[in-house]
Amino acid sequence: MDTLSDNSIMLKVKVGNLQLLGLLFERHHRRLYGFLFHVTFHKETAEDMLQQVFYRMLKYRERFTGEGEFTHWMFAIARNVINDQGKRKKLPLHSGHIDDMADWVAGHTDLEEALNRKQNAANLQRAMMVLSDDDRMILSLSRFDELRNREIAEILGINENAVKVRVHRAMQQLKQIYLKRNVKEIIR
Amino acid sequence: MKAKHYQELFAGRLKGDLTPAEDELLDRHLESCGACRQEFAGTQQLWADMGMIHVPASSPMLRADFDRMLSNYQQQTGQKTGWKTRITDLLQWRPQISFMWQLVIVMFSFAGGYLLFNAGKSEQKQQLTELSGQVHELKQTMMLAMLENSSASERIKAVSFTSEIKHADSKVITALLSTLNNDPNVNVRLSTLDALLKMAKKPEVREGLVQSITQQDSPMMQLAIAEAMLKLQETRSLKPLRQLLKQKNLDQLVRSKIKETINGLI
Repeated sequence: MDTLSDNSIMLKVKVGNLQLLGLLFERHHRRLYGFLFHVTFHKETAEDMLQQVFYRMLKYRERFTGEGEFTHWMFAIARNVINDQGKRKKLPLHSGHIDDMADWVAGHTDLEEALNRKQNAANLQRAMMVLSDDDRMILSLSRFDELRNREIAEILGINENAVKVRVHRAMQQLKQIYLKRNVKEIIR
Repeated sequence: MKAKHYQELFAGRLKGDLTPAEDELLDRHLESCGACRQEFAGTQQLWADMGMIHVPASSPMLRADFDRMLSNYQQQTGQKTGWKTRITDLLQWRPQISFMWQLVIVMFSFAGGYLLFNAGKSEQKQQLTELSGQVHELKQTMMLAMLENSSASERIKAVSFTSEIKHADSKVITALLSTLNNDPNVNVRLSTLDALLKMAKKPEVREGLVQSITQQDSPMMQLAIAEAMLKLQETRSLKPLRQLLKQKNLDQLVRSKIKETINGLI
């Protein structure tokens, strides 16, 4: 079954073999969860949105043409879920999970280095929270999903050059906020 | 080419997304421009630091939740569940009974015991009717409580519960109409629309659906509700549909769908 491409599976789902969506869930839910987490920074919200993405795949399966890659369609649906939620209610951004890293720190032998890394990661996460949903989405696709600009352009429905410019702007903004926060930490 | 244009290539360099020509261009510029070299080093560091952001493991219940959502969807749309899924569901069954259901079970047990040992036949009948009325009421209360849940998937579950309620009263209809107009999640609103369409024989439901047309701002909801009006041949929807058409920022696809609906209703 694993030899079947994502597109051919989704086309089977489209004609009514709904159970096969489970196979696509198994293949892609980790990646999708990672993307949604990097946009929301909230585990439960990311998980909830993940179910919504798969729900919409079922509901709007007729719209899957099989022309582009399945994962691009999946990310485009995820983008709509994020946008719809953002329009109605500001996404709940919480810093709770920043403090959940004790187990991660425990894995490091050099405690001081580990604490520094933890602090930097926490500052960076807080800096990302200041960015707009759109900026977090484009950075998540670019940095964490390592998608090429051409692919991101297809997902976001904009041209490749616009992706290049927006990634650059988001990185610049993030850098500024992050540096400010790190300077504040040092002064404190 | 300005420094800004070279800097726009930085992210592409870091993820290996540059053409050989762009790579060469950037290398040549970095050799001659100290400021951009420094900027690139900063971007490279930030790119590496972003990799330190910790992603908490997802819940082990994620797959079970997905299976439940899939099975609910199949039930709602009348799709049959395959025997393989039924067996898997049975094997994966975990008793997760909510407090309300526990209450229902306890009430059934008590009433059953009482009826078995104490009451006469006609009395039994009357008590069974009373009991079934109470269970029905409890189902409604449970559904209304679940609609308040902060999780969208729980709210979808609540909406799907309405298919179990034989005679939804005005409380349920009001709650569903309020969800249709105010829920922040478009999937919940879509499921609610589906649930309400099954009760479309009730005049208050039809009235509520017509009134909801102008309250929907999501293109997906606007499409779905226009489709519903056509299906119900609800001519009272003509006015609000025309009102929607007046919106300047209306999605093009929605606009043509609404025109099509209006033509179908006239």
